[in-house]
Amino acid sequence: MRHSVVTPTASLALMIVSLTACSTSTIIDEFRETNLDLELSDSEQVVVMGRRHAGEYETEPDFIDCIGNRLANGGKVSVMPEQQFLDSFYPWFEPRVAPLKLKRMSTMLNDPLIAERINSLSIRYLIWVDGRTETTEKNGTISCAISLGGGGCFGFSSWDKSANYEATVWDLKQLDEEGRVKVSTEGSSYVLAVVAPIPFIAQVQGDACVGIGDRLKGFFNHVEPEP
Amino acid sequence: MTICRATRYSRLVLLLASVLTGACSTDIIIDGDYPSALTRQLPYHVGLVLDDTFTHYTFVSSQEQDVTMSLGESQIGLFNQIFGDMFKSATRFNTINQASTSKVNLVVVPHVEEVQLAMPFETRLNVFEVWLKYNLQVFDSEGEPIADWLMTSYGKTQSRLLTSEKEALNQATTEALRDAGVRLVIGFHRVPEIQDWLASQQTSGTLAQGDSP
Repeated sequence: MRHSVVTPTASLALMIVSLTACSTSTIIDEFRETNLDLELSDSEQVVVMGRRHAGEYETEPDFIDCIGNRLANGGKVSVMPEQQFLDSFYPWFEPRVAPLKLKRMSTMLNDPLIAERINSLSIRYLIWVDGRTETTEKNGTISCAISLGGGGCFGFSSWDKSANYEATVWDLKQLDEEGRVKVSTEGSSYVLAVVAPIPFIAQVQGDACVGIGDRLKGFFNHVEPEP
Repeated sequence: MTICRATRYSRLVLLLASVLTGACSTDIIIDGDYPSALTRQLPYHVGLVLDDTFTHYTFVSSQEQDVTMSLGESQIGLFNQIFGDMFKSATRFNTINQASTSKVNLVVVPHVEEVQLAMPFETRLNVFEVWLKYNLQVFDSEGEPIADWLMTSYGKTQSRLLTSEKEALNQATTEALRDAGVRLVIGFHRVPEIQDWLASQQTSGTLAQGDSP
């Protein structure tokens, strides 16, 4: 006599996985030149940019958008979208020629053409974000089958993800580096398949975004941290 | 009745064959927008010769998977935009003969030398990559050759799982064309023969590209 497809063992496994799955751990290091908040008038803007000069990886545009949204804090900080900035200054911030060091940025600002555009758009701070999220380990398999009588998946799969990013804040008015935020997030995700696959996904990149975005918010004076 | 059934089967087979063939090939027309370049204009009239081989350029690859990419329209958009930004005025011509009979200081004739494509099934990486190689022939107002500039550019995309193959190829190729624009703005003035020509024209400065970072 068959009562249920899900056996007690599977239920127990499901419970254990539910309790332990999706956990992420985040380490944040912050360095600031000064304890004072950064000046930012209402008319001035901040730009968050991803580093894309390395051949083997590029900082994900959606991660940059996420930090920008977090930093904007519901409109309290004016954040110019990355693509808009890139198009406004084309080709000077494209991956091939974007300034990697502040010294180079300073040289670029000696060109009146670039300096005038920076002034006309009131861009005060440039925040460079370098890093990526990658899958570090993958285990298990899931098999799915379908027949006339129905179908289903069975198995267990898990993978670990690691997100490592560093944000560097440049003040384009003072031409100096105001600080750095480094975030390292790790997490494990699982998929348990008992007839139907049940995913337990760790929000590794999302947590890294929250970590780095909230710290960056703290750099600006009139921004209150979210509860 | 038998004839009718046979016709149905043959139609079905044809449909199935076309679906299977289509499943293994990718046809795409590259569609990208290119921003205006932030650069000082050179005080010259340039004739940009975009001939049929350039305006209708189509890349065809049949390695494991058939890929056909029409780059012509997108290339026209990029070159028109960049040369319009780089020079006081840019006039487009279809043939070099048209350009030689008009009053221009420089004539630029771009040719596509090579296109290379790397897809995830080839590289085992989760990216699409595109390399473009152009040969820009530059002539003076008398039709005398000034330079032959081989210029390469590169574009890639990620997130294979998030976009369709067509979207990914479009994105990678658009990035490569955008990179070609960077090379044009930054590198055109640094080609030694073109530098010499500019010097010979006794321009007051090498303008943004020469002096800029």
